[in-house]
Formats: sequence, C-alpha cells, structure tokens
Amino acid sequence: MGHSRVHLWFIGPAVILMMGLLIFPVFVAAFLSFTDYNLGNPSFNWIGVENYDRLVTRSTYKKMFTASLTYVLLVVPISVALGLGAALLISSLRIGGELYKAVFFLPVMATLLAMAIVWEFALHPIVGVVNDILRSGCDVGLLHALLSGSWLGGDPLQSWYGHACAEDFPLWLGDKDYALGTIAFIGIWQGFGFNMVLYLAGLTSVPRELYQAAHMDGADSAWERFRLVTWPMLGPTNVFVVTISSIRSFQVFDTVEALTRGGPAKSTYVMVYAMFEKGVKQNLLGIGSAITIVFLGFVLILTLIQVYFVNRRVHYA
Amino acid sequence: MMVRTNWLGEFLKHSVLLAGAIVVLLPFYLMLSYSLKSPAEIESNTGGFVGSQEIMTDRRCIKAGKPPEECDMRPIVYNYTAAFSEAPLVRYMLNGVFVTVSIFVIQVLVALPCAYALSKLRFWGRDVVFGLVIFCLLIPVHAIALPLYIMLAKVGLTNTYAALIIPWTISVFGIFLMRQFFMTVPDDLIDAARMDGMSEFAIVWRVMLPTAIPALLAFGIFSVVAHWNDYYWPRVVITGNRDLMTPPLGLRMFKSDLDGNEYGPMMAATTVIVLPLVIIFLLAQRRFIEGITMTGMK
Repeated sequence: MGHSRVHLWFIGPAVILMMGLLIFPVFVAAFLSFTDYNLGNPSFNWIGVENYDRLVTRSTYKKMFTASLTYVLLVVPISVALGLGAALLISSLRIGGELYKAVFFLPVMATLLAMAIVWEFALHPIVGVVNDILRSGCDVGLLHALLSGSWLGGDPLQSWYGHACAEDFPLWLGDKDYALGTIAFIGIWQGFGFNMVLYLAGLTSVPRELYQAAHMDGADSAWERFRLVTWPMLGPTNVFVVTISSIRSFQVFDTVEALTRGGPAKSTYVMVYAMFEKGVKQNLLGIGSAITIVFLGFVLILTLIQVYFVNRRVHYA
Repeated sequence: MMVRTNWLGEFLKHSVLLAGAIVVLLPFYLMLSYSLKSPAEIESNTGGFVGSQEIMTDRRCIKAGKPPEECDMRPIVYNYTAAFSEAPLVRYMLNGVFVTVSIFVIQVLVALPCAYALSKLRFWGRDVVFGLVIFCLLIPVHAIALPLYIMLAKVGLTNTYAALIIPWTISVFGIFLMRQFFMTVPDDLIDAARMDGMSEFAIVWRVMLPTAIPALLAFGIFSVVAHWNDYYWPRVVITGNRDLMTPPLGLRMFKSDLDGNEYGPMMAATTVIVLPLVIIFLLAQRRFIEGITMTGMK
C-alpha cells in the first residue's frame, strides 16, 4: 500500500459517516419539511411552505416557541449567574472548596431522567417534601412573618407566601402558571455546576499580577477587584458559558417528557418535545421536519453569535 | 502584601455555599431515603432517613399464593427485591453497558485515524475535510434525531441495538479533540517510527494511541456519561421492546407501569441506575471534572 493513498483509509470512514449521519439527515429534514410525508405511506405530496406556515400561524406552535424561549431565558441567566457566583466563592475559600465543587457537579453527572423522577416526588402537591417544608413554615410565627412580609407591616395575604399559607401551596408541575418555572428550576439545578467548573477554569487563567496592580492603583474592595480585573478577564469564558448553556437548554427534553408531556395547557411544550410528539408519536413527519429545520436555525444563530464575539471583542490574552 | 483572614467573610461564604449544597443534595438524599422506607413512611414523610424498618407484608407475594411468613420483610428488602423483580433492571444495566462501550470503541476506531491524518499527514483535500469536521460540530445529533429515525425506520433498524449505536459512531467532537492533541505531538516521534519501518497503521495504533491516553480518557468519560444518561435517542428508536431498553428508558417504563404507592421500589431502581456513575465520579472526581470541562463544547 503506497504512502500516498493511506490517508484515504484513515479519513474515509469518518468522512462517509459524517456525510451519511450528519449532513445527509439535514437535507432529508429540509426536503421532508415541504411535504406531508409519513411512515407507512409510500407516496407523499409536495405541499410547499404549508408546514412552515402552520408553525407561524397555529397557536400550538406559538405556545411552543414561547415555552422554549421562556425556558432558555429562565435557565441561562440564572444558571450562569449561579455558576459564576459559586466559582467566585469557591475559589476564594481557604478550605473546603473541593468538597463544594464535587457536590455542585454531582447533578451534572447523575442521570437527569432519574433525578427528574425524584424531583417529581419531592414536588408532589400532597405528599411531596417541598410543600411539606413550605407548609411547616406557616405555623412558625417568626418565619411566617418574615416570608410573608408582615414584619414590614404588609398584609400577609397580599404576599405569595402568606397567600399560599392561607389557601395552599402550588401544584407545581400540575399548574400551568408554575409548570415551566418548575421544569426550569430542575434545569438550573442540573446545569449550574457545569457552568461553575467552566468559570473555575476561567478564573485560574487570570494572572495574579493583575490583582496586585489593581491593589496598587487603590482597588481595595472585593467588588472593585471583580469589576476591574476578574470580570473583563472572564470575557471569553462568559461567551463560551452563555452559548453552551443556551444550546443545552434549547435541547431540554427528558424532564418535559417524563414529568409534564408538554402540559398543562401546552405551557411546557418545548421544541424538542414537539419534534418528538409530532414526528415520532403522531407520525407527522412533515411538520416534525419543519420544527427540526427551525431548531437547527436557532442553534446555528447561537453558534454564529459565539464565533462573532470570540473573534471580535473579548480577546485579551 | 500581608494576608489576613477575614473570618466573618469566610463564615458567610460557607453559609451561602452550604445552603446551596443542601438544595443540590436534596433529591439525592430523598432518593436514597425513599428507597429504604415503607410506603406509609414515605407518604407521611416520617421515619427520618432510614425509617423504622418495621416488618411489612408484600401484597404481591400474598397474591402469588406464597405462605405469609415468606412475604413478611423489612421495607429495604422489599423495595430492592421489588425493583429487581418487577423490572428487568439487570438487563437494562447490561444494555446500558453494552451500548455505551460499543459507542465509545467505534468512536475511537473512526476518530483516531482521521485525527492522525488531519494533523500529521499531508494530502490533497485535507483542509476541506477539516472544514467539514468544523461544520459538523454545529449540528447537534439530538436536533437531527427525526431524519435519523426516518432513515433507520426505512431500513427496518428501529428496535435494534444497531439503532441505539449507529448515530453516535461518528463523533466529530472526538476527531477535533484528538486532532488538537496530536498537533502537540512532535513530528520526530513519527519520523523515528517510520525509520524503524512501521506502517502508517502501526503508527496510529502503536505510537499515537498510547500518547493520546490522557485525551482519550477525557473523551471516554464524556462519551460514557453522555450515553449512559441519554434518554432522548433511546426513547425515539426503541418502542416497546423491553429487552433493548437502556437504564433511563427502562426506568421511565417502570414509572408508567406503577400504581400510586410504589415509591419505594421505584426509588430503589432509580438508586441502582444513578449510583454507578456517581460512585465512579466520587472516586475519580478530578479526572471527571477535567474530562467534562475539556469536552465541554457539546
């Protein structure tokens, strides 16, 4: 075998698989999104942009976009902020940092579907431990006063906590006003530890001398050091963490499928779940493919934003 | 600069982190605790962590016509035996191991030679292939699950092990990671191997593979964790055939089969599925965190 040909054996399998399993399916989805194709039916009709038209006009899909965007807008800022906060606190600790790091990273490792089921038990409206803990606070005068705001002279029934004590605590996953927030809470619980380790890695790359220089220039408080040194130096990490979290949270599926199935009243009908329900369960592959294409569009935009920022503004090193 | 310890600040930091740690650990605590307790204790939230472990009667065992004295057991025994007898948990776990290991081995077999060619061989079209790799990094496999499912259904492969493995055989991320790693390997090493008369194939597997162990380990952790925990893809391609189910999918089926108060066995099954990765993680924490962050791009 000649040296000049051997590379074909090395790249061949990878190139064939990339074409067949990544590029080709995108074309398949793009093609099918203009048809009314379904499995089991040998023929199909070319229906133009009808599927896309449905995506922008039907209220179901409006709810789908709302649910997905709201979920991302809840999970990304909070999990990034918590990740950064945890990283800053842990890196400034004298002892015990490694322990907290391991604890906060545990949910990243654990099977999300399994932990979602545990959260469902914990959030059960009647026997769940969460409402049990919340309820027990109602009978403690001091806690009730503190949480309901009546210690400030407010009417306890006007506050969320006081009202819930008088009526009852939410059904969480069963209430359309709370379901998406609850799913987002599980997403944040699961993902912020991942952001934390990315930030910890980012923090170690901030040169020590910069803090000394800032100290010389009179930046003494922790806040000043953060504002003048840490935050600007974390630029590339920020971009990376925000895009990664956005792409990850756009793909939320496990918790929705196992706990709410898109309900109640489509309040948690996120895109990947819609893709699964329409395409796989209902065999409506045309509309499922249209959702796939829109979804890929979103991911592409997020990645391009990342590339733009990484190349433009945030390079300090 | 004198270092002074701000004890109040240190105390406040620990309080905040501790509060966070309690919320993070709550479901793990509940999972373990529920897997030990009796249904009554679970529903009334009593009994502390392990419960009173009073002897209880297994109703299903009575129904099966066994003598009552065989059906009296402690809740912990009941929960775990029910978990293993009500669902083919062992089968699910073996499926999980088989699928994750197969995926990782094939990914390495495909990615390593490609990464070597992209970093150390000069050939026409190399930049095009690398461009293709970068482009493919943009496509999350979960996003194209539907067309992949259609393709597999067309060739009659749904409900097979092949369906669980095929879409993951190509890891563009693995190629990218290995290529970056091989770029740092000195060319002299490869030239020396060529002088010794080694073929290019031998160089890939006997020279490059051993040098790539750290990167492979990181990638392996990433790959195994991702596919052991993956629920979406198995949910799409496995419909009903329990013999093929991976742990998360099996657990989901277990959940939908249950009647109201079988929390104990359910949590026992959850513990059995979550625990392997958690234990390995706690033993090799640093490597895991490095592996996952190094490969954090996906």
